[in-house]
Amino acid sequence: MTPLAARDVTLRFGGVIALDRVTVEVRPDELLAIIGPNGAGKTSLLNVLSGFYRPHSGQVELEGETIRSLRVDQVARSGVARTFQGTHLFAGQTVVENILVGRDVHMRTNILQAFCYFPWVAREEDEHRRAVEEIIEFLEIESIRNERVGTLGYGLRKRVDLGRALAQEPRILLMDEPMAGMNSEEKEDLARFILDVREARKTPVVLVEHDMGVVMDLADRIVVLDFGRVIAEGTPAEMQRNPDVIRAYLGEAQ
Amino acid sequence: MDPAGVFAVRYSQDRALLRTRKQWFALAVFLAALAALPLLVGPRLIAVANIMLISAIVVVGLQICTGYAGQVNLGQAAFMGVGAYTAAVLAERTGLSFLLTIPLSGVAAAGFGFVFGLSAARIKGFYLALTTIAAQFVFHFAVLNLPGSWLGGSNGATVPPATLFGYRIASDTSLYYLCLVCTVIMVYGAFGIVRSRFGRAFIAVRDDDVAAGIMGINVVATKATAFLVGAFYAGVGGALWAYMLRFVAVDQFTLFNSVFFIAMIIVGGMGSVVGALIGVFVIRAIQELITSLGPELAASVPFLGGDIVFASMNVFLGGAIALFLIIEPKGLMHRWNIVKAGYRLWPFPY
Repeated sequence: MTPLAARDVTLRFGGVIALDRVTVEVRPDELLAIIGPNGAGKTSLLNVLSGFYRPHSGQVELEGETIRSLRVDQVARSGVARTFQGTHLFAGQTVVENILVGRDVHMRTNILQAFCYFPWVAREEDEHRRAVEEIIEFLEIESIRNERVGTLGYGLRKRVDLGRALAQEPRILLMDEPMAGMNSEEKEDLARFILDVREARKTPVVLVEHDMGVVMDLADRIVVLDFGRVIAEGTPAEMQRNPDVIRAYLGEAQ
Repeated sequence: MDPAGVFAVRYSQDRALLRTRKQWFALAVFLAALAALPLLVGPRLIAVANIMLISAIVVVGLQICTGYAGQVNLGQAAFMGVGAYTAAVLAERTGLSFLLTIPLSGVAAAGFGFVFGLSAARIKGFYLALTTIAAQFVFHFAVLNLPGSWLGGSNGATVPPATLFGYRIASDTSLYYLCLVCTVIMVYGAFGIVRSRFGRAFIAVRDDDVAAGIMGINVVATKATAFLVGAFYAGVGGALWAYMLRFVAVDQFTLFNSVFFIAMIIVGGMGSVVGALIGVFVIRAIQELITSLGPELAASVPFLGGDIVFASMNVFLGGAIALFLIIEPKGLMHRWNIVKAGYRLWPFPY
């Protein structure tokens, strides 16, 4: 079963065709990197996959079921998690609370029960807190768990962002330029976490990334986009030799 | 941050509101003092306390809607009015017990608020503020223009006193206990809501609604829920208001009142239930001080004339709020947290 697939997806913004009949299939347990020059449509594709944009034509399928017509929160509830380019954390909350928001998709308390704060509401809170603590330990952010995220440095915020996505226990994880703006030490840490996620959780990961070193080292397979089309697809080694890819990045020899 | 030597070893301790014995003790003393208040002070101050308690319920609701969920609401007084009129009509026409009319008033106000909550799905900030002002005028217009036999029109409507097992809750003291019990219940509920998944979803929507949606939170439903909860609180407060004055009229629930409710959460501190309570206390205390000082000042300095004194009292109140905004824009709760953290770290700088 294909965990996540975009089939024949076309997305337009006015006259601009951001995605032109793009078909991408994510295979089980793989780390798929999507690369391409600026404006190639990488982030647009990620936004389509996570339900944030609705494509004009084509299908998006999660384990064989179409999610094209779902709202963005429904897509998240059916098992697609994503992290953001830059950070989109909830600045007023602590690290623990941010990650607990990711657990919301698994919580069942309704507003009346919350008002009364029945013992079983508290119990549900504690169960999810336990799951959050596992993620905090995995990401090695124990010491900052009660800090407000607004006060944290960029590298740590990216970890919290990843933790929040992991808390959803997604069936697939989408990451939008996780390495942007980080120093090499932070990149190494994050790369290690991404590999661990795949090892430990068997969650397929889709990575949009500009840093070629990271992509070549981590990815099992690469999809190359240019002007909204898939121009090549294959292993990192194949892509490095592919003439279309080289042309897209470096331009044509005169 | 906890005081030195206090460490949570279970998750239940980590989420507890009261974390030390001293805090439990302080709460017990505070509640005992509130319960004993009618024995300690005169009826005039008890009447003031009643207004404070009712305002506390309404403002805690506004805190959830505006402070936590970030949905600016300038119609809280209208929601309160819907609650007050519902209580008046139910008590007068059906003779229902206040045990039922108070929650039903909350439900009626919540329904009215929910309609405006749905508009928050499409608009934000400044535009939402204007839309909620519309709530104020819809309420005003509806009450005045519906047939007089329904809501009493511009004459207002009278309310029979609340009775419990044949005992009339009509004196200031008995009303005080009714308001106190309701306030304690509603504040407890507010603490439950804000530390549950709903409180986190509210803050998530306030801080970054795009990210909240992608985390699986239904942003539209969350905003509507925030209005629903806020208006429910206003409705409960409105019902108590109706039982307290035994008379309701549209001019008790004006835009002016809504603005004052907003001022209370700003002075107390956005995003804090305790802050809302502090804001109510401070603003109502200043208001009360001014209304009691005004006549005395007018009497002792006769050449000023009563008109000027009363007018300048409102200027003074507005000035006091403006001063708060300049000196402590994050509210008194924020300042208190800084003082508390400093005290717990002392003598170390961090």
